[in-house]
Amino acid sequence: MSIIEIRGLTKDYSKTRAVDELTFDVHPGRVTGFLGPNGAGKSTTMRLVLGLDRPTAGSATIDGRPFASSETPQRQVGALLDPQAPHGGRTARNHLLALAVSNGLPASRVGQMLEQTGIAAAGNQRVRSFSLGMRQRLGIAAALLGDPAVLLLDEPTNGLDPEGVNWLREMLREFARQGRTVLVSSHLMSETAVTVDHLVILGRGRLLVDQPMREFIDSRSTPRVRVRSTEPGRLRTELAARGFVVDDAGDGDHQTLTVEGAKADVIGGIAAQEGIPLLELADQQVSLERAYLDLTADEAEFTAGSPIAGSRA
Amino acid sequence: MPSLTVVHSEWIKMRSLRSMVGSLVAMPLLTVGLSALVCFFVKPAKIESPDFDPLELSFYGLTFGQVAAISFGTLVFSQEFHHSGLRVWLSAVPRRGVLYGSKMAMTGSVVLAVGLLSGFTTLLLGQALIGEAGIGITDTGALRAAVGSGIYLALMALFAAGLTALLRSGVAVLGVLIPFLLLVPFIFTDLASGVGKYLPNRAGQLLAQQDPQGPIGPWAGLGVTALWVGAAVLAGWFAISRRDA
Repeated sequence: MSIIEIRGLTKDYSKTRAVDELTFDVHPGRVTGFLGPNGAGKSTTMRLVLGLDRPTAGSATIDGRPFASSETPQRQVGALLDPQAPHGGRTARNHLLALAVSNGLPASRVGQMLEQTGIAAAGNQRVRSFSLGMRQRLGIAAALLGDPAVLLLDEPTNGLDPEGVNWLREMLREFARQGRTVLVSSHLMSETAVTVDHLVILGRGRLLVDQPMREFIDSRSTPRVRVRSTEPGRLRTELAARGFVVDDAGDGDHQTLTVEGAKADVIGGIAAQEGIPLLELADQQVSLERAYLDLTADEAEFTAGSPIAGSRA
Repeated sequence: MPSLTVVHSEWIKMRSLRSMVGSLVAMPLLTVGLSALVCFFVKPAKIESPDFDPLELSFYGLTFGQVAAISFGTLVFSQEFHHSGLRVWLSAVPRRGVLYGSKMAMTGSVVLAVGLLSGFTTLLLGQALIGEAGIGITDTGALRAAVGSGIYLALMALFAAGLTALLRSGVAVLGVLIPFLLLVPFIFTDLASGVGKYLPNRAGQLLAQQDPQGPIGPWAGLGVTALWVGAAVLAGWFAISRRDA
């Protein structure tokens, strides 16, 4: 059980502030999704957690200690930052072997990880010949070598085939079930929606959201019901009479309506009372993608109106 | 602060890159090969001259062998600065002193081993080719030259490794170091006396002469080289320990 604690973390690169006084925790036992537009500071934050970059201010610790002083690094943290990082002239097997040996891990882990990530057949090929998806698999294999308590993955789904995305999702879910800590960034919203439990969202280096995904989506959704009936005209009239705002769902069949500000149980009750047969009835929830885009649009609107530090220089 | 496991890991990294193995193999080939050629073909002309030094002749290739040692030392770090590869290794070995120390330990010991092999081979082969005018391993300077040239090659590899860690570019290091070491002594021959004697390569290569003249002796010369190397290795450590990876 490991916890990542980030406190007032700030990182300046010459004139730009990449990370701005971030404070949040990444808890064990769940998959935390790390979202934000390009340049929001996700990768920088991960590098700061790993001690690769030095913070301008604040701290990032794992179990209360900076990772840069770790004695058993690969057992503590497995990280995938950049799939292009492994040297192209080395074979996948040798790359992993050197990593395993550096931490005193048994060489047998190399073969196991090559198998598990589905690149065993290419193990003796030079990494130079690997596709992006295969490089991602190699990066994931490297991260898993030490059977770590914490996984930090920066956009691991990039270039991965659907089968790989599926496998990765199951692996991350299983990791979290075992009580380990997972922080994963992604731009694939639909994939994130089915993988993560908790969200941390950054914008321009600052923390925008740190809450359970369900809560985040609920907070950005207004209730809406989708209802299909054989008598849409009568249903529309009855609902309008009760003060509901009813729209055609635009499915082209003129049978499906959407009702704003309502819950399915209420609409179902009304239909039953009036004896209107229903074919379909469901609460409509905003997708993670919609909620995220709304959030970042709000943020853009908010920041566009205010002067940006340093922009006049 | 090298650790045995990380030195082993660096050894695997080294032997799994063709370019590194290539520069390692080139080291004895250049040192021994060029020395043997010179001993075989130049000997008759030189042997009559009053300053004929059979020892120096059989270490003629050392100047070129050091280029291979420098290439090797440069590759130790330049392979890591490609695509931020160092991040992968610092994620596995986050204590930078351990990683840096282990890289240097691997570089030094591997080049020393190959350098000693080159040194003894070039001495014995060279003297055999010189023939009657040649010297034996027990003669003045012979053992010193064989052992010293191995140490010298290891030092030059560490010199290049330290500079590459500092400058973060193998091209820059090779571009500056190789012309500097190979051309400067030929162009500015007057440098050979005076300050020039204290350049890392001039000072270090004194040990390949049977009776070196000048302000410093052969072992002191190697000491001067070691000081240069110490400075480069420290500067490299300074850069690696402070900079964002």
